[in-house]
Amino acid sequence: MKRLLAGALLASLAAAVPVAAQDAHLEAARKEGKVVWYTSLALSTAEKVAKLFEAKFAGVKVEVQRTGSQRILQRVMQELGANIKNVDVIHTSDAGHYVLLKDKKLLMAYTPAGAERFPPGFKDRDGFHYGLRATVNVIAYNTKAVSASDAPKTWKDLLAPRWKGKLVTAHPGYSGVIATHVLALSHLLGWDFFKALGQQSVMIVQSAVDPAGVVASGERPVAVDGGDYTFYQSKKAGNPVEVVYPKEGVPLVVSPTAIAAFAPHPNAAKLFTDFTFSREVQQVLADTEGLYTGHPDVTYPSDKPKLSELKLLTVDPAELEKRGEEIKRRFVEFFGA
Amino acid sequence: MKADVRLVGLGKRYGAVGAVEGFSLDVAAGELVSLLGPSGCGKTTTLRLVAGFITPDDGEIWVGDRRLSSRDAVVPPERRRMAMIFQSYALWPHLTVAQNVAYGLRFKSDVPRSDRDRRVAEMLRVVQLAGLEHRYPGELSGGQQQRVAVARALVVEPDILLLDEPLSNLDANLREEMRFEIRRLHEAFGITTLYVTHDQAEAMVISDRVAVLERGRLAQVGRAEDLFRRPRSRFVAEFIGKTNIIDAVATGPDTVARAALRLRVDAKDLTAGAPVLVSVRPHEIELSTGPVPRTPDNAFAGVVRRASYVGTAVDYQVTLAGTDVTLRVTAPVTVRLAAGDTVAVRLDPAACVALPPAP
Amino acid sequence: MRGLDLSLPVWALATLLLLALIGLPIGWLVALSVTGEHGLTLAHYVDAFRSVALRRALWNTVVMAFWVGVLSVAIGAPLAWLTARTDLPGRRLLRALVMASFVTPPFLGAVAWVMLAGPNAGVLNKLWRSLTGREAALLDIFTMPGLIFVVAIYTFPYVYVMIGNTLELVASDLEEAAAVLGAGRLTTARTITLPLVAPAIVSGFIVSVLQALALFGSPAILALPAGFHTLTTQVWGMFQYPPRIETAAAVSLPLLVATALLLMLQRRLLGRRGYAVVGGKGGTRRRLALRAWRYPALLGCFVVMACAVLLPYGVLARTAFSRAWAQPLTWDNLTLRNWTFTFFEYSATRSAIVNTLELGLLTASVGAGLAALLAYVARRRTIVGHQLVGFVALAPIAIPGVVLAVALFIAYTRPPLILYGTLWILFVAYVTKEMPVGYAQCDATFRTIPAELEEAGRILGARPLRVLGEITAPLARSGIIAAWCFIFIGVIRELSASIILFTASTKVMSVVIFDLKEEGQFGAIAVLGLFMIVMTFGVVLLMERVLGRDFLGVRE
Repeated sequence: MKRLLAGALLASLAAAVPVAAQDAHLEAARKEGKVVWYTSLALSTAEKVAKLFEAKFAGVKVEVQRTGSQRILQRVMQELGANIKNVDVIHTSDAGHYVLLKDKKLLMAYTPAGAERFPPGFKDRDGFHYGLRATVNVIAYNTKAVSASDAPKTWKDLLAPRWKGKLVTAHPGYSGVIATHVLALSHLLGWDFFKALGQQSVMIVQSAVDPAGVVASGERPVAVDGGDYTFYQSKKAGNPVEVVYPKEGVPLVVSPTAIAAFAPHPNAAKLFTDFTFSREVQQVLADTEGLYTGHPDVTYPSDKPKLSELKLLTVDPAELEKRGEEIKRRFVEFFGA
Repeated sequence: MKADVRLVGLGKRYGAVGAVEGFSLDVAAGELVSLLGPSGCGKTTTLRLVAGFITPDDGEIWVGDRRLSSRDAVVPPERRRMAMIFQSYALWPHLTVAQNVAYGLRFKSDVPRSDRDRRVAEMLRVVQLAGLEHRYPGELSGGQQQRVAVARALVVEPDILLLDEPLSNLDANLREEMRFEIRRLHEAFGITTLYVTHDQAEAMVISDRVAVLERGRLAQVGRAEDLFRRPRSRFVAEFIGKTNIIDAVATGPDTVARAALRLRVDAKDLTAGAPVLVSVRPHEIELSTGPVPRTPDNAFAGVVRRASYVGTAVDYQVTLAGTDVTLRVTAPVTVRLAAGDTVAVRLDPAACVALPPAP
Repeated sequence: MRGLDLSLPVWALATLLLLALIGLPIGWLVALSVTGEHGLTLAHYVDAFRSVALRRALWNTVVMAFWVGVLSVAIGAPLAWLTARTDLPGRRLLRALVMASFVTPPFLGAVAWVMLAGPNAGVLNKLWRSLTGREAALLDIFTMPGLIFVVAIYTFPYVYVMIGNTLELVASDLEEAAAVLGAGRLTTARTITLPLVAPAIVSGFIVSVLQALALFGSPAILALPAGFHTLTTQVWGMFQYPPRIETAAAVSLPLLVATALLLMLQRRLLGRRGYAVVGGKGGTRRRLALRAWRYPALLGCFVVMACAVLLPYGVLARTAFSRAWAQPLTWDNLTLRNWTFTFFEYSATRSAIVNTLELGLLTASVGAGLAALLAYVARRRTIVGHQLVGFVALAPIAIPGVVLAVALFIAYTRPPLILYGTLWILFVAYVTKEMPVGYAQCDATFRTIPAELEEAGRILGARPLRVLGEITAPLARSGIIAAWCFIFIGVIRELSASIILFTASTKVMSVVIFDLKEEGQFGAIAVLGLFMIVMTFGVVLLMERVLGRDFLGVRE
């Protein structure tokens, strides 16, 4: 009875929507009922995107499984190892993952509507994955504990003795944002930089989202990494947080998304992926979340620097994939855990 | 060192309930006095007051010239130079027999370390436990555990020995044997002893004197025979041995009546008209066949209701003719009667103890 | 109970259980740890123990576990004595608080203590600074001592219960006998009470050490930020992609062996003395009057319980209603946002609650039932080889949660039985983990029901099953329901095995809370944590109401 009613309701809704191509997708997606999204997007952002989608496409649920990029890869591979096919859309911040997954033929080639207009750094040559969003790694500090003039201005400033015991870092073994960051900075400053940083009694958290929380609480006054959008959000929420974009350059992290080759809900996955690349969602990511995107029509808040104003440090996804183990190993060696 | 114990006006209340009230008792040096009464009469509380585990609300406890307990100050148990044997024996399961017995010697500065083993061995021999030194209590029989408890208490040569129903966990035969054993040890060591029991036979066998407690108060104290022959209350009369109680009214200084029944009793100062209870022990009643003699006092005709052979004697129930009084009579086996027989019953006036009526 | 032949079904069941719960997983664990690409090898062991990081983690684990054992005894023993044997005021409340500490998942306590004693933002440190004007922190929870402390305040209830139960058995007579013979209070305590309670202390110490050895959540939350590992966090890390399952197996086995050795040591230490307290009628137990020590003792208890229960829940409650947990609780900072987010926006919440409840109820019911059956046949000696039944039921005690999880993961991600990805693998893990607790509880229950009571029923003409239903079951009811409660609580607070065995669709609340911790979502953690505790207490109190007894077992 309930299902009948819902069906009637959906039918009338569908009739009201004129776009034919989406119609076909939508019908098939509704039959599937849901899309399972493994995502490393900050939890609140991910849930917000999901709710927007569910509001627009009644009848298709989004199951958000939010965790760190490396945990997502672990989950996908572990589940596949036991022949469990659960995930539809895979979104992490470690571009290396997509090299690996594509290589293992675990991705479905699918170009989200409008993604062809994205800049090169956001597109896979073969159309398997596309950059959903981007962020840069920055330094941030608690303005109650540190004055603007005292705050570190460059990455190397963090090595000053006065920051010993005052720093917090996220972990490349959890976060793709940080894995990218560590590789980029190792190119710029060499591993010695991290070796020296490891001597600073740095507090280690897992997610690249967490340094923002730690700095906001004052547990450690300075974050040595973390996506700038997390600090931006924290600041917007009224926390005493300020961001520093070091002049030496900031590691750019483009977080790809792709549909699993074995996706149990392929149509819902396509519908959802299209949705997340729509101007509407990309604009939300930029406005309320403080993320950068590849969408050419998106505008950015005036209180954030434009990407073009920053010196961006980029990494080659293939190298990230190849050296992923080494990055984690060295980090653990320098920082202890 | 022998010491006398004086309990003066002891009182202990738990909430509104008085466990012990106005309790006074003198125990002479070297004497063994039993505290006898049914459960809940306050005898164990009294013992624990003496041991110093609890503080009296009223009264004092003296040993020799030392005041051990009063409302305000209590000498702790470990400084009272006493020993105690518990109902549960309270043997320490983690110590061997020898270690259990030797324990108290650690605290006796006048016993050198080198002397302890000898004393322990000696004491174990006295209680016939030689050879079991290295057993743990869990490996002993009940009787052996009992002896360990005795040895542990005696080896320290206490001024005062306290026993809290030490035999109640033994089976009947062993219990009887241990009664004599304890009495023997008492006579050998002569330690001033307080002995708590609810078993009147045990108290009578073991004690020099027996103190009967009733609801926290001292009912009567005296030698076993005095208590038996001259109880001063119905409670004592009934608690010490079996008895017949006749509810009557005084008719003269030494006579009482119950309806048609007229009795001469062992008293001189009864007030005519006053209610009186008369206690007659079953074995003090004489039964004989043939006619009721006219001359002696307290002779009646009766009818046998029931006869029970118990080996050493015969128990009868006899109803006195023309009355509602049925008496228990213990007669020697030489007199053999059957239910329905008519008999002559004689109650020796000297055996008819007049008691005040129950309050 | 002769006449009811349970031998065959019970043995079939026990064998099956042994195979499914222990045999198969441990067998795979061993096999995998010695299998290389070219047949048998010890390379995994060499790899594992040549690693400096792993050796350091091993040492950290040993240090932590040892001191947790010491601290748990130092807290649990006096508390047990105070509640069992003195006239300390507020004993009921104290017991309730100890139970609250027992029910609290250690990882939740660890999260709370991050907020209480983080060196800079911690509430207690801020208070200290504002009171004294000093710069330096009073407490730093992100240290080895901090970790030991937080683990111990949630482990000591094991010691508390063990010692409390033993003190129940030690009649006051035993102490009074010493006093009469001249031993002062301290001497009596040293020479009589302490030796009698010693086995319980040793057992409590070893159980605490085992708990600490196997713990994952607290080290992950407190040690990793400080840059050090324990074995459990290392093993967990080996599951990251690319996984090193063989190495995990190679690390797990020594942990398993160490646990087994500790348990054997415990047996040895208890030795030959039958500690059954001798004597006729169980002596009475009298309370020691604390007099002048009343209030210092009370204060000590209060401090412990404040650390274990009051402060953590206080800070969690505060955080649940704050925008920013580290900021003062002003009107501006007050919010219901965490609640609406957790219950209406966070999509993991609902399925985690459902999964947790399902698993909790199922595991507790099946586990308690099984434990009761096994304990019954073992105690009544109705079948051949009844001693073995007890061994089977108690054996999992030697398997730390992480090791169990690694073994189950290996065993049940491959044919013949693929359970990974379903709730069943968690169910198997929980039943295995909780079986010893349930069995011990049921065994203790049947010990108090003399066989005569059943025989009396038989002689009057009742058939065996009828006796079981009408006499045994009602008598054992409260004991079995207590076992049910223990298992339920154990399942709710389980993280060490769950963290390895969950999949996206089989998350339980503890895993979700750990997920949230990795992202620093304190608000949502506070909400979920409080909800979890209310849920646990709700179920347990319901059971207690049904029972009319306090299942923690230490009487006043």
